[in-house]
Amino acid sequence: MLNLLVNFLTLLISLLLINANIGSAKEKELFETPKKLNTYGMPGTIDNPTADVFPEGQFSVSSSIFGGTIRTNLSFQVTNSITLSFRYARVPLLDSEFGGYTWDRSFDFHYVFNEEKSIFPSIAVGLRDFIGTGLYSGEYFVASKSLASGIDVSVGIGWGRLAGRNSYDNIFGFNERKDRNFGQGGSFHIDHFFSGPNSPFFSLSYNVSPNLEIIAEMSQDNYDVEVSAPKGFKRKSDLNFGFKYEIAQGFSLMGKLMHGDAIGLSGTLALNPRNKPFKSGIEPAPMPLLENKILLETQSFMDSDVFFRSAELLELDGIILLSMEIDNNFVDVEILDRNYLNVSQMIGRVARILSKTVPLQVNFFRINMVDYQSGYSVSQIIVERESLREFELVFDGPDKLWRNVKIVNSSAGTNSSFTLSKNRASWSIYPDVDLMLFDPHSPINGSLGWEATLAYKINNSTTINSSVKQAILTGLNDIKRNPKSGLPNVRSDFMIYYRDISTRPYISSLTIDQYYKPFKNIYGQINFGYLEMMYSGIRGEAIWKDANKPYGIGLDLAHIYKRNTYGDFSILSNSYSTIIGTIYYDFQSDWNIQLDAGRYLAGDYGSTFSLSRNFNNGWEIGAFATLTDVKFSTFGEGSFDKGITLKVPLSWFTGKKSQAYTKTAIRPITGDGGARLKLDDKKFLYRNIAKYSENRFRKNWKRVYR
Amino acid sequence: MIRKVLFLISLLGLSCSSDSITHSEKTSFYKIYKDIVISKPVPPQPQQTKEKKIYDKAWLSKFNQPIILLSSLDGKKTATLVALGNYKDKLTWVSADGISVSFSNGILIATRGYSQDLIESQHNDLNTLFSENTSRRVKKYRYINGENRYRELTFICNIVAKTATPSFFLDLKLQTTKFIETCKADTTNHTNEYYVLPNTSIVLKSKQWISETNGSVIIDNYYSFQNNLL
Repeated sequence: MLNLLVNFLTLLISLLLINANIGSAKEKELFETPKKLNTYGMPGTIDNPTADVFPEGQFSVSSSIFGGTIRTNLSFQVTNSITLSFRYARVPLLDSEFGGYTWDRSFDFHYVFNEEKSIFPSIAVGLRDFIGTGLYSGEYFVASKSLASGIDVSVGIGWGRLAGRNSYDNIFGFNERKDRNFGQGGSFHIDHFFSGPNSPFFSLSYNVSPNLEIIAEMSQDNYDVEVSAPKGFKRKSDLNFGFKYEIAQGFSLMGKLMHGDAIGLSGTLALNPRNKPFKSGIEPAPMPLLENKILLETQSFMDSDVFFRSAELLELDGIILLSMEIDNNFVDVEILDRNYLNVSQMIGRVARILSKTVPLQVNFFRINMVDYQSGYSVSQIIVERESLREFELVFDGPDKLWRNVKIVNSSAGTNSSFTLSKNRASWSIYPDVDLMLFDPHSPINGSLGWEATLAYKINNSTTINSSVKQAILTGLNDIKRNPKSGLPNVRSDFMIYYRDISTRPYISSLTIDQYYKPFKNIYGQINFGYLEMMYSGIRGEAIWKDANKPYGIGLDLAHIYKRNTYGDFSILSNSYSTIIGTIYYDFQSDWNIQLDAGRYLAGDYGSTFSLSRNFNNGWEIGAFATLTDVKFSTFGEGSFDKGITLKVPLSWFTGKKSQAYTKTAIRPITGDGGARLKLDDKKFLYRNIAKYSENRFRKNWKRVYR
Repeated sequence: MIRKVLFLISLLGLSCSSDSITHSEKTSFYKIYKDIVISKPVPPQPQQTKEKKIYDKAWLSKFNQPIILLSSLDGKKTATLVALGNYKDKLTWVSADGISVSFSNGILIATRGYSQDLIESQHNDLNTLFSENTSRRVKKYRYINGENRYRELTFICNIVAKTATPSFFLDLKLQTTKFIETCKADTTNHTNEYYVLPNTSIVLKSKQWISETNGSVIIDNYYSFQNNLL
């Protein structure tokens, strides 16, 4: 479930190294402000919030330790004024079954509704732990002002944990705050917001230098739970003191003395996907465009076979020419690209090469983009040869060219006259990491082993895919938790599979995958076999997607059987069916939404809403929640299925062309309600198709001449 | 346990794929991890007694196609570029290591292959820039930012012409007009220098700014000499 988180964190560190080497000090744009985080991963001083924001798009990982408490936070600056964070915390507890501690997940929200201007301070409102068990539950209003000489002051009023000391009657009149009883957690507790007594809090910070800040704050948090626990600390004062030091771009440390007793340390890694270290990339320059006279001369030195000479040059750019047909002033080509993440840049290079190789009589390039996995041509882009040359080096050239470009759906069916790869069979063997977080018995658990894959392309649209895995070092065979009760165990019994498989090799998947394109804008696939570690059966997916529309519709059907818990070929008799319809919408902005609805694995009916910020460079940060007709009490801990997704492209780090990425879904709780088949990202068609849509080309078109 | 760890380490060494793209992607990721885990200190570069290359007419005569020479400001990095593109008086020169620079009337208008490329630029006075009456001009430079959108810098430039400036090209000493262009934008500024053949708009040599990350480069327009202009 979380098997790439470590990869991601490592990449995060590498970014810092890259930034340290490549970041230009001359550039005034500020992308990362790690010093602004408090111990909750939100804008603040030490424990207190401030009315600050991070630079839009900043993603931060922070961890702090003091007095037996550990807080690890993932924070994201969603818009210019909204900050969200997810936290996993170890909290000292008096009667705990986990060695004197409890482990708690929580979410925070922070909204700045007034930015600092002249004499007016910035003002923010925040909700702390508004959707968890409420252990850190609290709300606040806070105002912050920068004074002369690097001094910042924040004053606020807080409720809940922020009103543990020096409290007085609720300013809104809601004097009663209900006891903390949040059932299975995971649900909003709106009736607590801004209720009960309230207390003021203050913070003062001074920037000694651009890298060093010293802080004093008065925090009213009583730390009731922590001070009563043997592994907690003693609260001797309302005051906290600390310093923050920014060691490198995006990396800072904080030392602190909490409430006169506990000494602590925090570390923050911040990165902003908008701050690409390699700017426009370091791929070699594309081929320049030529005047007709020089072009004729150049072509006279080339191979007389137009297909061959075009294919040869395209291959230098990592693009495979599959077919070519010249018809008067049109050339129709089918190309395969497995290298460029940026489709506009790729098309620019294809068009440049064609304008160098095809006869002068050809005025239009009709370029069809074939998907490697499915074998069908997804979209066709028509580029006018003269426009390409005319606007190459002029101001606003890409925009001018865009007006002369047309994108349509490619024709139905698959072309069997070419083969997508020289070898029908392909294989690989690589290390495999499987990480599992949030188990209170073992908060960080996982396995290290290997994965071998073997694929055989029967034809362009039919492939046998297989994957065998084996854990060599694993802690996953000793998960203490048991399957949940109340619903058929369709996912929450995963630990039985890990326990029984242990360190044996097992078939992770073995399927025959057949792809269809019956109409110009309808795409389909059928997967049959061992679909994932826990299920085998048959699955079909169909997508309607018009290249010129920003939306698509999908239908995903599956009839599956539970696999034996040893990961061999045997199948159990338990069968399940899922029927899920999906609407996808890619906004003109960087936001995408996906709404799934239907019948889930456990037979429950409901829907999943997913929202993601797609940075126009391959990064994706999103969140999803599934609500079905399963009661929260039946779902158990967490109340419903939800999570955070992260997608990180390789090209962002290297500056070179690559479609590779690592994707991670952080799911706080695994339950049976709202469960689906757990398939590789590649088994879902929509994103593969949408990447060749007009919307995607438009967003990236400024790279067409790169 | 030790055997298992050794097995995992050896597995890492034996990792491979029959598919070159899969292998390249995996190894690129591993390289990032490796660079973090094993961060080797950069060994001190031995003092090289590199023989200074002499750029003279004899050297130039070896080329049978138009060339320019691109050098870093300290002269330590140089690249010879050949003309590969030509359309409506815009010339594009390409180096063997994949950098291209495009000029119009000797003015740099675009680059490709740098980490922060000058993607496009707007100059309204390219034909009159090297008339000695020009003193002030506005130009726009565009870059692609981390989200593949434009980052535009508008420069206000002052130009000063110095006539009869002696300059060395190859093994020749020539009198040129030196134009010094001082440009300022909100967040950055730069100075370009052009050595122009008197009473023409032929730029023989120039120092031109590309971007904040890449700074300026020196361009020796040997093409002018190859055309027997002198």
